[in-house]
Amino acid sequence: MALNLSSKKILVVEDQSIMRETIKHILVLFGARFIVEAESGINAITAMRIDKFDIVLCDYNLLRGKNGQQVLEEARHFKLLPVKSIFIMVTCEQNQEMVLSAIDNKPDDYLIKPFNQQQLLNRIEKCYARKEYLASIENEVDSGNLYQAIRNCEQLLQLDDKKMRMQLLKIHAELAIKIGDFKKAEEIYQNILQERDLPWARLGLGVVAFFLGDYEQAINTFQYLIEHYPVMLEAYDWLAKAHELMGNDEHAVSSLNSAVTLSPLSILRQKKLASLADKTQNLPVAKKAYTATIKLGKNSIHRSSGDYSGLANFYLKSNATNEALKILGELNQQFHNDPEAKLRAALLETEIHQTKGNKALAQQSYGKAFKLNEQFNKRLSRELRLEMAKIFYLNGNSETCDGILSDLIKTNIDDKLFIKDIVKMCTAIVGENYAETLIQQVKKELVDINNKGVSLFQEGNIKGALAVFEKAVASMPDNHTIILNVIKIIIHGIKTSKPDPEKILSAQSYINKAIQVGIPHHQINVLQAELDSLSIQS
Amino acid sequence: MFNTHMLSIGFPAILASSVHDIKNSLTTLRVLLGQLEKIHQDPRPTEFRQLEFETNRMNNSLMQLLTLYKIDLSQFSLAIDEHSASDILEDIVAQQSTLLSLSNIQLITECHGDLFCYCDSSLISNALCTLVNNAQRYCFSKILLSAAQEDDYVVFCIEDDGKGFPENLLSSDYKQLPQVNLANGNTGLGLFFAETIAQLHVQSDKRGFIVTDNNSQFGGARFKLYLP
Repeated sequence: MALNLSSKKILVVEDQSIMRETIKHILVLFGARFIVEAESGINAITAMRIDKFDIVLCDYNLLRGKNGQQVLEEARHFKLLPVKSIFIMVTCEQNQEMVLSAIDNKPDDYLIKPFNQQQLLNRIEKCYARKEYLASIENEVDSGNLYQAIRNCEQLLQLDDKKMRMQLLKIHAELAIKIGDFKKAEEIYQNILQERDLPWARLGLGVVAFFLGDYEQAINTFQYLIEHYPVMLEAYDWLAKAHELMGNDEHAVSSLNSAVTLSPLSILRQKKLASLADKTQNLPVAKKAYTATIKLGKNSIHRSSGDYSGLANFYLKSNATNEALKILGELNQQFHNDPEAKLRAALLETEIHQTKGNKALAQQSYGKAFKLNEQFNKRLSRELRLEMAKIFYLNGNSETCDGILSDLIKTNIDDKLFIKDIVKMCTAIVGENYAETLIQQVKKELVDINNKGVSLFQEGNIKGALAVFEKAVASMPDNHTIILNVIKIIIHGIKTSKPDPEKILSAQSYINKAIQVGIPHHQINVLQAELDSLSIQS
Repeated sequence: MFNTHMLSIGFPAILASSVHDIKNSLTTLRVLLGQLEKIHQDPRPTEFRQLEFETNRMNNSLMQLLTLYKIDLSQFSLAIDEHSASDILEDIVAQQSTLLSLSNIQLITECHGDLFCYCDSSLISNALCTLVNNAQRYCFSKILLSAAQEDDYVVFCIEDDGKGFPENLLSSDYKQLPQVNLANGNTGLGLFFAETIAQLHVQSDKRGFIVTDNNSQFGGARFKLYLP
């Protein structure tokens, strides 16, 4: 297959002009007409905002500003790359792939310098062939239709193309995990492992054990992998997660710390390490990780004011109040239009002034925080809101504290880890059974809504029932029971009236949402099958 | 201590950034060579071929140095997956394509499209590239690069029509390391690297290995890499 680039829009991101020229020259030889060059990450992002590229060739080591990984993360985050486009990362080192291994964002392929004409073209060609082959899966994944993606994957597997078989099996298993069909994923991984002990398949088994709640088994698997493949960073990440859920935060810190030593450039991993080390009072590690996060964040979409307040808080705890104030100064400078940042700064200022015994200033800062909270509360991150609840309580404003806490519990009732954080905070600051009482209240409220909706439904008032649940979804968007009930009612509505494509779409979007919030497979797949049979009829 | 400054940066970081710099220089060097080649068409000076060979060699040695260093530090693990053998051969041919275009040497590949092996493909192709690059220097006109199944192993084979390996690089015994003597400054780093990488590939009780002899079907050197 002779590659023809004439219809492709290509972006070349490379800081050395001589390399840009060379790459351009090769591309032109093969018919490319639309080539844009960028010598920095920022220019690359700007170019991607203007044009939708088919091919991006991006050097990892860009001299100033963002590196290639940060360009990729930002491009994916703002959806600047169409699903069918290919992103090839150009690196200097063979194992950089592992060293860079970002938690989420991987390029479609790597190309190692120095490369010649043939190598560059081979790489583009292979990437394209793979992308086209997998398009029917990736398009559905992109639209959130995971069940359809799995069906398309199974169809491709039936073609029995030996070159693609392993890749398809890997995708199949990963999709099965995403929809919560752990049995299927386990079966795929086991079958592969019977053929050969492939590290990614073993990792997959560990992940399945993790999701099935068998943390001990998961931990064993991840530890085995780390022992045999000491550079396999994903195993460290999963090991940390498993330890965290077992309540062994210290072990989680040590696992993440090893991963960070091997690969110091992943901001998300540093961030996670910082917050866990902070939780476990491991101050030296927390300080190092916060500092690294702030540094990496300078050019990253993952930068956040929480990194700065975390470090400032560390200084506060170490009685270095001047250092803490200095970091807060930087925070204010870096995020001057961000209410969440302002609020974090005000909270810390309150504590710092209190520590210094400066009551008037402390009161002033508290006032600032109170006002900001009133203005923005529901739009703030849940971690910060929990922190706010604590501060309000400590300052004698238990009413506002109550309001925040019950809202947090309501919206996160299905998230065990976060509920655990709430209970922990309440037990330490407010009182033993405080959180428990609130949780029971929220549960009762949920039962009431449910009963009301279900009885309307039984009376035949489908519209009324749907209204009750849709209203509930608006205030509790992640609640499992409510989402499931909405889906059931919509499907029932479709069955009992004329076929309506709009209702089918609406049901599908709730099913996609259900997968996203982690509702178990056995509860969703029945509904998906029902909806599928209805969409075939209509 | 005179080296405290260096220790504070850490040798791995120094090595990594040196490799990075050298690689960028090598890349630039190759680009410039390419531009010069265009000016010097017919008759093209034979020095270009030598230059291309040397830059290939520098690049390969650098990769090997870095990999061996990491293995030594235990900061290394194979990225094993299933790969098509013909894809690996195709990679090697692509890497050698510039040098081939400057000589009259024929590089032939032979491999069944349905042959798959379990390996770290970038390491294997790196090890084989070095040896094909060397074969281009020592053969007369022809190199055969092939892959085939032999019992429980997939075997990559490079054979040429040159004078064959010198005595010290020969081993006919499967279990025996080739007599590589890095200390006497002789070549053989390429073979040493290939052997090291092969040994890292393990499947139940079987390990990868290499064999060198002069039984090429064209009368020259033959190198075989066995992967379980």
